[in-house]
Amino acid sequence: MQLKPSLLAFTLLLAAHAQADDYVAVHYIHYDEGSGRTTIQTPTVEINKDFGTDYTLNLSAGRDALSGASPTWYDATSGASARLPDHAVPANDIHYGNIAYDDNRTFVSGALTTRFENRDALTVGLNYSSESDYLSRGVSAEYLHYLDEGKNRSVSVGLSYQKNSVDVHCFLGNTICDAISGASSKTITKDLDVINAEIGLTQILDTQSLIKASLFYNYESGYLSNPYMRVVRNKTHLVEEAKPDTRKGGGATLTYSRALTDDLSANLYYRFYHDDWGITSHTISLSTFYTLNDTLTLGLAGRYYTQSAAWFYHPGKAHFTDETYASSDRRMGAWHAYDVKVSADIHVSEAITIQSAAGYYTQPGNFHSRYLSVGMKYGF
Amino acid sequence: MTRLLMLSTLMFLLGGCGMIQDVKPWEKDQLAKETLTPAGSDTNLHAFRKHLYFSKEASKGGGGVAGGGCGCN
Repeated sequence: MQLKPSLLAFTLLLAAHAQADDYVAVHYIHYDEGSGRTTIQTPTVEINKDFGTDYTLNLSAGRDALSGASPTWYDATSGASARLPDHAVPANDIHYGNIAYDDNRTFVSGALTTRFENRDALTVGLNYSSESDYLSRGVSAEYLHYLDEGKNRSVSVGLSYQKNSVDVHCFLGNTICDAISGASSKTITKDLDVINAEIGLTQILDTQSLIKASLFYNYESGYLSNPYMRVVRNKTHLVEEAKPDTRKGGGATLTYSRALTDDLSANLYYRFYHDDWGITSHTISLSTFYTLNDTLTLGLAGRYYTQSAAWFYHPGKAHFTDETYASSDRRMGAWHAYDVKVSADIHVSEAITIQSAAGYYTQPGNFHSRYLSVGMKYGF
Repeated sequence: MTRLLMLSTLMFLLGGCGMIQDVKPWEKDQLAKETLTPAGSDTNLHAFRKHLYFSKEASKGGGGVAGGGCGCN
């Protein structure tokens, strides 16, 4: 008979927690890589609303305004069209540097969580993202099942599918566009399908800590190259990069979260990743939060990431000849990165929290970036 | 380095099995806090940082299946 009071307390706890989860959050994020490279300005909005204790709806939307430049091989004599040509270029005219671009990305996502009588939960999500040369539509589903009566252990199984379309500017003589004839240049649309599966196990260890372990698998099929990235073949031919048209990867994650005191908590995360492009990576991060008083919560987070290079990657100007796959995209190289973030949440009232954060992300030897975020969260 | 991480993880998991307590529903107030998630309370910034890693790094996955589109190829 002790079960009924515990269930009542649990229900009240859920209801209180559910009440606290109704909110609207509005943020403005500014990202800057400096040295004329990418700058992003992103206003975002998120709405989370519980309907009773069985349904939760989460909606978010935002718009990235991107400008600046990104690095690739280019023809120094081609002026504004330096980013696009596929042709023979005198070796001395082929340079590696930043080519200017600007774009806007609009993104919308929504997820509905339904909880059943046994408190298992099904979350179904949709997402949409659009920019001038890229369109992404996705659907996802995740089922959470409790493995014990006390709901201290659960397993979750998730699956997502994304259908992407990439606009590729093509020129006659370009291998992608060989089938096209008539015009001197065209844009064709290439497909990219992405499937992601993940299974996770969460275990509450005690009243202050929990652990989550997961395995994940990704499968990508379609146009996986970057339409703006170039490689140099035979020392004088500046041509499109060529990545394989499939990619299979996966890995494991482990997250340990602990309330060290009533006011101090820490979250430790590790991810191992490997794929058939030869990329192996390790990610480790730690995020901590300290509630100084009823008004102020401070946060400090750090992340370290390291990866090996893809087997078809080389940064050099005199390396590639007639290989099927070739890329000088630095993201395919071997390097490491650091990210550090500090944050402050000011609880102006029971309903309103002003949120601010500043971060620094760097890939030493490649680029450094800073980001700032300010916003407000209104609970209702 | 990799072996050390795997060994540490294994030891952590094995050690964790002995630490598991039967936590009652009314004892979960600490566990329900936003600060006991890597994202904390600022989910918009967390989503932005995930997108940053996605667009600047070659690894993908491991953050749950529900996510936004990319457009970074």
